[in-house]
Amino acid sequence: MSLEQVTKADQPATDDEAMLVRVQREDFSIDEELKRVRRRSKRIGGIAMFLGTARDRSKGKDVDGITFEHYEGMAQKKLREIRERAIKDFGVIEVLVLHRYGEITIGENIVLIIAAAEHRAEAFRACQWAIDELKQITPIWKLEHTPEGEVWVEEHP
Amino acid sequence: MVTIQLFGMTKMLAGNQGTLSLSLHDGKRVKDLVSVIDAAYPKIGELLQKKKVLVSVNQEIAHEDLEVNDGDEIALLPPFAGGNR
Repeated sequence: MSLEQVTKADQPATDDEAMLVRVQREDFSIDEELKRVRRRSKRIGGIAMFLGTARDRSKGKDVDGITFEHYEGMAQKKLREIRERAIKDFGVIEVLVLHRYGEITIGENIVLIIAAAEHRAEAFRACQWAIDELKQITPIWKLEHTPEGEVWVEEHP
Repeated sequence: MVTIQLFGMTKMLAGNQGTLSLSLHDGKRVKDLVSVIDAAYPKIGELLQKKKVLVSVNQEIAHEDLEVNDGDEIALLPPFAGGNR
């Protein structure tokens, strides 16, 4: 079996809604996720995206790496609520919400929000609301690894 | 006997345990659960009293007067931190 066949077999046959809200250990491809959202409707005319990545500084201290822990089940439930409310309240066509867990190297992707609408204004608004809401209501915790030790991050200003 | 899932700093404060198993004798509300935790793990109890750590029942943040039933999924949730804005 060629590598290409293996890759195709590993992908889901249909793009169901479950793929639009995920908490996963592995990295994601922004191109693939954009394609997934664009396939949902031909009425999409504006897409806003937020990508959160791992910084090497936090509150003036060096950070060597980050570990994310999540509450399996509740985290997915809250992300599904965010997607549904963003679609309902902001009049956007589709929203994708992905968050990684486990150990993340500095510079790597952490979180991705894609909001697709007919026009840019709704897309921007839904995207900003979704990432702010994610930080408020999603049970995901961040452990920063610093030269002085490990610190659970408490605030989300 | 109820089992409580721990996350983040609460896991550390409980001596790196992922879960706590506790018996509720005097009342079955969330506030009774908080009292039992406070007696066994005062550092976690203090965070619960200050509402820095929240209790969830069946994957929703629970009010202190909510009654806990057998088979409920209970967890202690320290402050969420998806990152800074």
